[in-house]
Amino acid sequence: MRNFEYHEPETLGEACLLLKGYGAAARVFAGGTHLTVLMKQGLVRPGALINLKKIPGLKGIVWHPGKGLTIGTLVTHHELETSSLVQRVWPFLSRVAREVGNIRVRTMGTVGGNLASGEPLTDLPCALLSLGSVVSVMGPSGGRSIALEDFFVDYYETVLAEDEILTEVVVPPLPPRTGFEYIRFTAGSVMDRPSVGVSARLSLEPQGLACREVRVSLGCVSSTPMRARDAERALEGQDWGPDALEDAAASAARECSPLDDLRGSARYKREMVRVLVRDALSMAHERANTGGKEP
Amino acid sequence: MKHSVTLRVNGREHRLELEARTTLLEVVREYLGLTGAKAGCDLQVCGACTVLLNGKPASACSALAVDADGAEVLTIEGLGDGAALHPLQEAFMECGALQCGYCTPGFILAAKFLLEVCPHPTEEEMRRYLGGNLCRCGCYMEIREAVKKAAGL
Repeated sequence: MRNFEYHEPETLGEACLLLKGYGAAARVFAGGTHLTVLMKQGLVRPGALINLKKIPGLKGIVWHPGKGLTIGTLVTHHELETSSLVQRVWPFLSRVAREVGNIRVRTMGTVGGNLASGEPLTDLPCALLSLGSVVSVMGPSGGRSIALEDFFVDYYETVLAEDEILTEVVVPPLPPRTGFEYIRFTAGSVMDRPSVGVSARLSLEPQGLACREVRVSLGCVSSTPMRARDAERALEGQDWGPDALEDAAASAARECSPLDDLRGSARYKREMVRVLVRDALSMAHERANTGGKEP
Repeated sequence: MKHSVTLRVNGREHRLELEARTTLLEVVREYLGLTGAKAGCDLQVCGACTVLLNGKPASACSALAVDADGAEVLTIEGLGDGAALHPLQEAFMECGALQCGYCTPGFILAAKFLLEVCPHPTEEEMRRYLGGNLCRCGCYMEIREAVKKAAGL
């Protein structure tokens, strides 16, 4: 690994100024699980690392019934997995977190780092996307909020400016009669990066069979986590039934753009998207229909 | 430029002057002579370099020592109390849960964390906490038995 300058700022303002000063040469450092591997391989050679860990206020998980769940950028996957608050209000999020990487990645890797890395082969961005999450970002001239669906640009690229820091993720509250599911599919060992990830959130109308709001997001089958909008349209406003479900699943398979790689051929992944979207939507519907946010 | 880093390794404090790029694995192996943690894949996949960093498993190969400044580090050398081995070490021997031994320090430290979080782990919890450690000799069944034995299951 090439050597680099190293800073531990104690405020967000100080961190943003350091980033502004270094420009493209600096990288924000949180858990480091993604970045240090890229640095050792020489794929990223930052002139400076700006470690966020000395900055207070970036670590907590807070639940507010009106606002939803706020997850600090430095919260680790293992904290999300084992948080009694998360397990109480939204156990499904704890289930997603526990599928990430291996235990060492989960205890070191952070939620903010996972999103800001722009790494397409991960679990959390796909799940958070279908939940309608919003990220908060701080820069030298102040903060802004960005819907997660507008956050990812391309492989390893986000809308974050060089001097901006992702500070938290806000997952809004779920409407009544809503169900959620995330399915991670791996072609090799369960500890491998996912081959395909599929997340579905489905809200039913207060009465009856009709689907009020549907979010389907796909991971690992495009340059960024993506919403499968045709799949969503195939169900929204429609009565739940096998034909609408098959339509949605087939739409998702059409609108993704997987690549051939070690984790499967493009054709295989596309077929898995179809199968998994069908399964994820069915599970989300069952949970929505049984009344609770969570069975 | 060197950075001043203080680490408490196996209960003993060390003050080191290190380049920012120095990994925790280099520190324990090359600066402190503790060679229990092994270099394996160098990608956080195999678990051979596992140490407990403030009580939690970390891939020392990819952890920066400057980031660990002020931390408690436990390597396999610090697990027993000097006179007796740790119950997990005893259980690994009794169950024959190793052949070449390369993965063993990492497995035992990961298992220590597992048993702290889940004192009576289910099969699923064992997979979730130990599935990220690889044993190329294929002693997985014996390792599972050893962890269960140490947990009193």
